[in-house]
Amino acid sequence: MAEQKEKVMTAREAVSEFVKDGDHLIVGNYTISACADLVFEVVRQAKKKLTVYSQSGIFDIEVLVAAGLVDRLVTTYVLRSGGRYGGSAVERALQNRTLQIEDYTNYNYNARLVAGMHGFSFMQVFEGIMETDLFKKRGFLGDDKYRVIHCPFTGKEIVVVPAATPDVCIVHVQRADKFGNAQYWGALGSVAAAALSSRRIIVSCEQIVDHDVIQSSPHHTIIPAFRTDAVVEIPWGAHPTEVVGHYNMDRMAYGIFQDAAKTKDGLAEWMDEWVYECSDRDAYIENYIKKFGQKRLNGLKAKDYFSAPANYGSAFSSAWDENNRERSMGITPAEVEILMEERGLFHG
Amino acid sequence: MAKKYSLNELLIIAVAREIQDFENVVLGVGLPTTAGALAKAIHAPKANLMMESGIIDIDPLVQPNNIADAMCCRGYSCATDLFSTFTMTYRGFVDVCFLGVAQVDRYGNLNTTAIGDYDCPTLRLPGAGGAADFISYAKRTVLTMRGGEFVNKLDYFTSPGYLDGGQSREKSGRFPKGSGPAKLITRKGIFEFDQTTKELFLSQIHPGITVADIIKDVPWELKVSDTLSETAAPSDNEIDFIRRFAPAESLGKSLMLELATKKFLTEASEKITLP
Repeated sequence: MAEQKEKVMTAREAVSEFVKDGDHLIVGNYTISACADLVFEVVRQAKKKLTVYSQSGIFDIEVLVAAGLVDRLVTTYVLRSGGRYGGSAVERALQNRTLQIEDYTNYNYNARLVAGMHGFSFMQVFEGIMETDLFKKRGFLGDDKYRVIHCPFTGKEIVVVPAATPDVCIVHVQRADKFGNAQYWGALGSVAAAALSSRRIIVSCEQIVDHDVIQSSPHHTIIPAFRTDAVVEIPWGAHPTEVVGHYNMDRMAYGIFQDAAKTKDGLAEWMDEWVYECSDRDAYIENYIKKFGQKRLNGLKAKDYFSAPANYGSAFSSAWDENNRERSMGITPAEVEILMEERGLFHG
Repeated sequence: MAKKYSLNELLIIAVAREIQDFENVVLGVGLPTTAGALAKAIHAPKANLMMESGIIDIDPLVQPNNIADAMCCRGYSCATDLFSTFTMTYRGFVDVCFLGVAQVDRYGNLNTTAIGDYDCPTLRLPGAGGAADFISYAKRTVLTMRGGEFVNKLDYFTSPGYLDGGQSREKSGRFPKGSGPAKLITRKGIFEFDQTTKELFLSQIHPGITVADIIKDVPWELKVSDTLSETAAPSDNEIDFIRRFAPAESLGKSLMLELATKKFLTEASEKITLP
């Protein structure tokens, strides 16, 4: 049963309550709308010994790994700043042997989440992978990274991946209601599967909206309320990545991060300024404005481009017509009771 | 003086009372949807009503015709699909589901497929629908029976209750612990399942019904609870809600059809005016 407690809280409260040392933590967003502030809050609270899942290991993973919080990483992509001459926190951690990594393809990674979200113990993936080192080279998952079975219908060899069921998903969306119905649109990536495969879900959103807004647009809901543990309203919560309908990617800010991430010291300095010394997203945005100006921030804001509203209407919304007669039988409420008496329907 | 009510109304009200606030509830079409709407209106405003077509947190406006009725889609919280509705049940997120019964045996196994010979049936019923999967994986299942019957052996085993009774459901390893039918509610009373034997017994009787009225429907020696209680009479609020939301349920299907046909024929004859 869904609990009756209040789900709206701060990022600090949500991470403190729902992310634990040793958790399998999944970053729900894929490339865009990264749940930056939730990631930073995990770093500020120094949740340790994490196994982290991220489909697009971008600045989220760099920051978590650089903070020394990640023991194991499951991903499909490692961000390298500055090409061959650059560097990354993931690369440095691998070189120092402080991080174990399990590489998957985008599809195989996503298949693990889909299995988890539906309660299956494994999912079929494409057999071509068997020719590659993704299949042959096993990390911490060992034999369980991929297994081969025979299709009971065709007898053909097929490759399967195990379901992923992370302990907690942190995810950023456009809007949610206070009950935890979370709405997200744009490139869907693996966002819904990441959230729904997880045991606990922390949703941050640009805006908490009235329940009515959700009810009139249920097709945008990717996480139903009963799955959500915490709802945090964080405007600019995904900066420097973009949120469709709210703001663009901040290429300058992202560039500054990428430049810093090339070296250990550079990244540490960047994290001091943008993660540790900003107690929350308001402080982060304040620092941004102080440094680069309100005008620059405003320039990122999205100009409206609304989708057409979907019409959920029906011919009527009550069993009774304008003359208070039941629509199919043509009788009034009083006549219903008279008929029940006449036909002997009353009990006793 | 309290309002008079029909046994059909009492059945729906007894079903509604099984829904608690904040529960995730899967409703089948017909009686359960009215019960769900009633629960939400009277005592469980935050119950999350769902139907297997993939509509979550619905607020039905009128009694739906089917499990994807447009009248359930004017304001709901999450549009998903049928597949995901069943897998969320499989994963244990559904607190309670309600299933109608055509045949039920002493261990709560159900037949909703065919009466008589399967290949050449006396009555071909709708079939499994969502029943087999919901009763397998919802945390609890409430069975409702109007026209159905108690039998020693099902003509067709559509949906698993407690299998051969005792620990057999749990021992099969195919169902979550604690799942299975919790109650069977009919127009005469409420039945539960013995904790050890998993056999159906009469636990509650509706006002004005006798134990003898019930025993005569059951082809085995029905056990009756030592603490047999009487169903609380429906409140005026509950009765009024049903008559307003689903008057056809109050009147019953045959009377509803009679009246609807009469109305339709009258309207049709008014249209036919020769030139």
